[in-house]
Amino acid sequence: MSILLMGHPNVGKSVFFNRLTGASVTESNYPGTTIDYTKGYMRIGGKSVELIDVPGTFSLNPKDKAEEVAVAMLHESKDVKVICVIDASKIERGLFLALEIIEQGYPVVIALNMWDVARDKHIKINIDDLSRILGVAVVATTAISGEGIKDLVTSLDDARPVEIDNIITNVGGST
Amino acid sequence: MKKKKLSEVEFNETGIVSHIDEKLKNRIDVMGIRVGKKLKMVTKQPIKGPVVVIVEGANTSLGLDLAQMITLEVD
Repeated sequence: MSILLMGHPNVGKSVFFNRLTGASVTESNYPGTTIDYTKGYMRIGGKSVELIDVPGTFSLNPKDKAEEVAVAMLHESKDVKVICVIDASKIERGLFLALEIIEQGYPVVIALNMWDVARDKHIKINIDDLSRILGVAVVATTAISGEGIKDLVTSLDDARPVEIDNIITNVGGST
Repeated sequence: MKKKKLSEVEFNETGIVSHIDEKLKNRIDVMGIRVGKKLKMVTKQPIKGPVVVIVEGANTSLGLDLAQMITLEVD
């Protein structure tokens, strides 16, 4: 099994990667830093599991080289779970990608990263409600300080594919 | 209500997206720009440079050619 870190450019995927594997992948404050992927290993419940830091992508319809790499990685990997990293202060655009990944049948957990930034901006997110609607685990994280990382790793165990129709029903839409 | 192309919107002006060219739809919906969304113009670069708008708290830059394909309703 392998675990993929996916999300928009510049949401902190590589910081997660470093946290989870103990590696030191380059982080910088401009988007598009990861154009190739980085692979490492993390421990979950005593087992060593492959973790892949995927380049940032806005959607699963690639628009440039880095996005192509990202989408190909998702499609080519077998038996994967996805940590979808979302910038909590810009949650709306991040959920678009999360839904695309869920729709394609991958087991997903969502990391609402940069939780500290969202808090500073007085953005309030009801995590329990979001998790109930999506049917996947949602964890508030601040990767640079390590907040929420443990909970995120724990939630990976229970990650299961979710029917997109269920989500549509949960938000009151019709399928 | 007045309709304006995003490329014609002034600095600091806000508007609601009323129409997006079909060619562009699948490229910018992923960035949160969809019909009904409120945009605020925060930067207009000179010499046909890109525009930067805020949508749902996120800065998004668009080339002028893309901005011409988005129509807003402004006050």
